[in-house]
Amino acid sequence: MKKMWVISGLALAALATVAGLIVMYLLPLDLGERSPVQPIAFSHKMHAGTNGIPCLFCHRYAPLSPVAGIPALADCRDCHQFISAEAPEIKKLVGYWQRREPIPWIRVYWLPDHVYFPHMMHIRARLDCAVCHGEVAAMPRITRSVHLNMGWCLDCHRQHKASIDCWTCHI
Amino acid sequence: MKRRTFLQFTAMSAAGALVSGCQSANEKLIPYLVPPDEGVTPGLANYYASSCRCCPAGCGILVRVCEGRAKKIEGNPYHPVNRGKLCARGQAALQELYHPDRVPQPLKSSGPRGSGQFTKISWAEGLGLLSGQLKTLQREGGTDRLALLTPQLRGTLATLTTGFMRSFGSPHHLAYEFLAPDWLRAATRKSFGQPSLPWYDLAQTRYLLSFGAEFVESYLSPVHYGGAFGRMRQERDTVRGHFTYVGARLSLTGASADRWMPARPGSEGALALGLSRLILAESLFDRGALAANGLSAQTLLAGLAGHTLPRVSQLTGLSEQVIAEVAREFATTRPALALAGEGAAFQSNGPESVRAIGLLNLLVGNLNRPGGVYPDLGSPIGAENSFAELMSLVADMNAGRISLALIQGNPVHGVAPATGFQAALARVPYVVSFSSLLDDTALQADLILPDHAALESWGEVIPLAGTRQPVLGLMQPVVTPVFDTRQFPDVLLAVAGELGGSLPAALPYSSYLEMLKKQTLRGGAPSGAKDSEALWESLLQKGGRFGKPGQGSGYRWSAGAPLPEPGEPRFAGDQGKFPLHLQVYPSTAFHDGRGAPLPWLQQLPDPMTTVVWDSWIEINPKTAAALGIGFGDLVEVSSPRGSLRLPAFIYPGIRPDTVAIPLGQGHSGGGRYAKGRGANPLELLMLGPDAAEPAPSWHATRVRVARVSGEGGLVTAGHPQGSYRSDLIGI
Repeated sequence: MKKMWVISGLALAALATVAGLIVMYLLPLDLGERSPVQPIAFSHKMHAGTNGIPCLFCHRYAPLSPVAGIPALADCRDCHQFISAEAPEIKKLVGYWQRREPIPWIRVYWLPDHVYFPHMMHIRARLDCAVCHGEVAAMPRITRSVHLNMGWCLDCHRQHKASIDCWTCHI
Repeated sequence: MKRRTFLQFTAMSAAGALVSGCQSANEKLIPYLVPPDEGVTPGLANYYASSCRCCPAGCGILVRVCEGRAKKIEGNPYHPVNRGKLCARGQAALQELYHPDRVPQPLKSSGPRGSGQFTKISWAEGLGLLSGQLKTLQREGGTDRLALLTPQLRGTLATLTTGFMRSFGSPHHLAYEFLAPDWLRAATRKSFGQPSLPWYDLAQTRYLLSFGAEFVESYLSPVHYGGAFGRMRQERDTVRGHFTYVGARLSLTGASADRWMPARPGSEGALALGLSRLILAESLFDRGALAANGLSAQTLLAGLAGHTLPRVSQLTGLSEQVIAEVAREFATTRPALALAGEGAAFQSNGPESVRAIGLLNLLVGNLNRPGGVYPDLGSPIGAENSFAELMSLVADMNAGRISLALIQGNPVHGVAPATGFQAALARVPYVVSFSSLLDDTALQADLILPDHAALESWGEVIPLAGTRQPVLGLMQPVVTPVFDTRQFPDVLLAVAGELGGSLPAALPYSSYLEMLKKQTLRGGAPSGAKDSEALWESLLQKGGRFGKPGQGSGYRWSAGAPLPEPGEPRFAGDQGKFPLHLQVYPSTAFHDGRGAPLPWLQQLPDPMTTVVWDSWIEINPKTAAALGIGFGDLVEVSSPRGSLRLPAFIYPGIRPDTVAIPLGQGHSGGGRYAKGRGANPLELLMLGPDAAEPAPSWHATRVRVARVSGEGGLVTAGHPQGSYRSDLIGI
């Protein structure tokens, strides 16, 4: 093989690697779907926006637990056995209840397993839900509008004088 | 196309596939159907204090429960027995709760006994069958044809079963466990006039001499004594203490010793008396102690005259120098402590050997003193000869005097077949088992009324030993019952109610919880229901009622108690045909076999051999070489009773004339993890050297070993040759 080709080939490979690394650093790495289609077209805009239902009414474990929780099927049914019973999406809901099948929602906000995120600590710090979850009350379909990466969390922690010790989040 | 083009296309499509594959699918988020029960917060754990009943030690536990599911068991830091520590068996109790082979509802047998064919029935039908059987006995005037078999019970469960049997009118309540320390109580009564189990102050002793007492593995209260041993070694600034272990086999406990004395099996008592004689002869004994116990050195010396150094050396196979050294060390390092364990007690001269070892404690003046031995105030009385009761029941069953047997526990596996128990049980027309896992006993039953798992049960657990003070550990359910099961005491109460007559009057409780509450709070709460509730809750939160170490009467040599006379050990089996001694020992994983259904314990490598998922026989390297046995070979072990096939483990820490097999495997039932695995060495045991005088001399059986093939199928967690330095251990 010609020496010229080997050198230019290696140089190209090195350049490609560096370019790739830059791209990886700049691009957001959440490769999951940002706004997946849900089994039932639940509209936060309708519930939290138009009807003004507070977040904690349904996601009731947020002030108590590391997980915020999503409402049990019975909680949805409690209202919707009377409200909008004729709507096609509500009929879907009733179908799930009659089959005693929990609705398999598609997850939109998550953190990797090596991160410990306790909701109750952030509620205690009087953080508004919209700070991390975006303007949910304006979303007809829930969308991940914020990129949850560590630098973003640390910025807020530094600003609010919260702990930035490794073990706080990486237990 | 050109080859280059083809390669380019391939690379591009491969890259494209890779990139698209990088996008991961979102997780699903599955909500509850109905909101969880009150007190359950998803993501937050509740901790419940309870008590472990995996062995009689009765440690306190804390169970972490998330969303109504038990997740982890740890020790309860407040509990005086274990102080926050817990052994592997307690940790694995979690697997009993969610075991895939749990009996979900009552079963009625639909095939021959042992076939495992059962049909599911309702509780109404199951209780009806049981009360029907009991009513028939009442009608025919044969209430004494009922037998109840349980492990050794304490507290309200003992009160309930005694009350039930007495009111029903049957004397046949057998409370038997293979490893129960009846022998220790009997020896203590004979020497010290009271049958309380001893509590050993290991943490403050400076010279520990253990005669086959495996206090780190299974003896009395292993978690407690393991912790105390750690404190003995490390708690005091410049004192490490000295530990000498006497036994034919170097156990896990013995492996922590500073000196191992591999005395000939059955010579432990002679050794103890030889040590005593030397201590007396060289005036190293505690004068005040002898005087306080009403003994005279001259009389003792005269009685021990036969146990000279040469004689004891000949009996034990140990050198005179070593024996003298240990005697002097033991007597001059105060406080010193001698422990008598199953290693000594299970010999034919066991009862007297244990007393001889107790005498050593008296001579060095450690009775009722720090670093010595105290009576365990929590365990002042208990069974002293349950073996005799077992043999009596076997005779009754054989003679057809028992029509109905109610069994809690697994005696079909845990009782040595030489007693004839299993054959006798086959003659009982109706057998009811309360097993929750279809164990060996349940397979022989006609009706199964499954008990709750321990983590679903109410109860109290009174530690067998391990504290100086009375301790009442409470057991509470940490989850709602997973299956349609009921607690054994509740079944008895329900049946008592149905039978009527004097039974409900003797047991005036609607549930076992009510009885437990009443008995626990009795004499404890100031007046007023609200105060009792508050007290009950505080006891549950703490894990029980833990008394303070009281004074109580100490140990004192009983006036007129004879000098211990162990005599020569005798063995079952002709020495020519059966040249080796067999020692069976409770494995750290399974204890006496109750842990075998749990896969964590099967997977737990044995601390000394690292064997998993199997049984094995330990053979000394010289003996194995002489018999042509290599590591892992399949060998046949034969006793006068029968034979077993096991893989061989070449074990330098055992006398050349002894072999050892761990207890616990060899189940015919108990679920998928226990069934058909390993072998049960109880099948080899004889009832002592004299067929005419059955005795629980479980180490008095001789065996022979022969190689069968090279396919033992042994699986060890470590390198087959082990990581021990076998050149450091030798006899």
